[in-house]
Amino acid sequence: MTAPTAGLELARPRVRRGRSAGFLRQVLARRTGLIGLLILVVFAVLAIVPDLLVGPLQTAVSATGGRLQAPTAAHLLGTDEVGRDMLNLTVHGTRIAMVIGLLATVITVFLGGLIGVISGYVGGWLDTILMRISDFFLVLPTFVLALILTSMIREILGTGAREIFGIRFGLIAIVIVIGITSWSSTARIIRSQTLSLKERAFVDRARVIGAGNLHIMARHILPNVVNLIVANAVLVFAGAVLTETTLSFIGLGDPFQPSWGQILNAAETAGAAGLGAWWYFLPAGTCIVLVVLAFTMVGTAIDDVLNPRQRSRR
Amino acid sequence: MGNRFIARRVVQALVTIVLIVLVNFLLFRAMPGSPERILARNPNVTPRAIEETRERWGLNKPLIPDQFIAYLGATARADFGFSFVARGHPVTEVIGSRLGPTLLLFGAGELIAIVVGLAIGAYAGWRRGGVVDYVGNGISLVLYSMPYFLLGMILLLVFSSTLHLLPSFGMSTPGLRYGSAFDQVKDIGLHFILPLATVSLGLIGQYSILMRSAVIDTLGEDYATTARAKGLTGGRILRHHLLPNALLPAVTLIAINLGYVVAGAITVEYVFNWPGLGRLTVEALNSRDYPVLQGIFLLLGVSVVLANLAADLVYSLLDPRVRL
Repeated sequence: MTAPTAGLELARPRVRRGRSAGFLRQVLARRTGLIGLLILVVFAVLAIVPDLLVGPLQTAVSATGGRLQAPTAAHLLGTDEVGRDMLNLTVHGTRIAMVIGLLATVITVFLGGLIGVISGYVGGWLDTILMRISDFFLVLPTFVLALILTSMIREILGTGAREIFGIRFGLIAIVIVIGITSWSSTARIIRSQTLSLKERAFVDRARVIGAGNLHIMARHILPNVVNLIVANAVLVFAGAVLTETTLSFIGLGDPFQPSWGQILNAAETAGAAGLGAWWYFLPAGTCIVLVVLAFTMVGTAIDDVLNPRQRSRR
Repeated sequence: MGNRFIARRVVQALVTIVLIVLVNFLLFRAMPGSPERILARNPNVTPRAIEETRERWGLNKPLIPDQFIAYLGATARADFGFSFVARGHPVTEVIGSRLGPTLLLFGAGELIAIVVGLAIGAYAGWRRGGVVDYVGNGISLVLYSMPYFLLGMILLLVFSSTLHLLPSFGMSTPGLRYGSAFDQVKDIGLHFILPLATVSLGLIGQYSILMRSAVIDTLGEDYATTARAKGLTGGRILRHHLLPNALLPAVTLIAINLGYVVAGAITVEYVFNWPGLGRLTVEALNSRDYPVLQGIFLLLGVSVVLANLAADLVYSLLDPRVRL
């Protein structure tokens, strides 16, 4: 099996122009990819212009309804225990959840890509140490670590009103923590791809004409793992949204910038499920499930395009 | 050869445990609010008293190696200090009292999920494209995308507050005097149903997806084709040729999954007020009870590492080809 595959891989041209457009078309050609991407576009719109759709975020002061009202024509999704409109909160929650997810994904993928390429390309003891650390994060119940780290970072940095990318400082701790605790699977995938790439002829050719290690990593290895990084980022994003939701749910969110998880935490604190106030948590819950499902669907479609051998599986 | 593999995995697990202990040590030393800093806030405390306190607790010695060695010694003796909140109670006692409910809930949940989830997944993969596959896979994907606590809240809404069939929180009815042991078992049993259903359903989603793709993978193997070419019946191929091979990756993935189950444990117990380790974690987090958090982190970390090690060893026994 090894001999013919190696030959094929050698013959395969490396990065071509216009390949990414073709890649997107292939992903969209799959039903899962198309549906998933459509759902994500809808949520992206909600996240970008929440004010245009439902007005500014309501607070306890600017609340417009009665306490814990069931849905009416004025409040399509009812109100919470201080009278805030649930539709307003849920749409605004989209922005917080998505921005935290996006930032956390960027950090995770950056760390994972960097560590994966360096570990695979440099090899030796550095590789051993980095992979041992990544094993540690893979095996560990990272969620408990994330809990402790979040409250710790918050106590050290403080939770002032400062903002980064429109996200209050206390929530940035969650971004950092998700980044720290979830890079290892990305690093693993990128490393194994790098290991096979560095044995290819074009890397030898680059070295022969005098390219340095940094140049080879940046110009020859990186472009060839970008597809994998994108595919992985989609799944990382879903995981980041779930982790943020869970952390906020158990009380590490920010009540002044409610994400979906924070809304669920408020619903839990108010005892919404026990009171039968379904409108309090089902909208935010549905959003979470839809977003995670959409990312999984797009991820499946991308996986399908990248690994045609397994195409029969779906 | 086999012994070398086992030795290597054991060493790896030990290294990971040492890392966990090290992280646990450093992490909590970095936490704000050490005893001397709290003392230093009080203007009536003389510098000398602070110095004496530092000496008494060994805080004047370097972090590594002195403080670390002291910490290692205490950890080896299972001495994790005292809870900040439950004053006078050692951490081991606080954690120990919460272990039972968690083990009960997740032991039973895992058992149900493994049996049901693997069965559904195997059947869906075997009859790919059939009704069970479409419906089962759809439901599994939704369950897989849903945080455990959300599932718990929905079940609570339906079965407790709408249908009034089951109690909504805790492990038993508060203040109730039981007429007999049977009544007590019945009461706890009723409280047990919803959390158990949440845990099982959440896990069934994951395990059936996993088992389905494992079975589909083995369907493409040469020995499956051979078995079919020999004229074996479908059921026989599934039972004797596909399942034993498909179960192998499933076992490992279930073990790897344990780390994630921990996150689910914390939130499910929070939703149902189940008096286990998960709720203890949230309580300790909210009250900044760091010694307890430290103990929980160590306990969970080491258990997950050991579970993974056990899965790897079982795997290597079942499949002699495995050499990591």
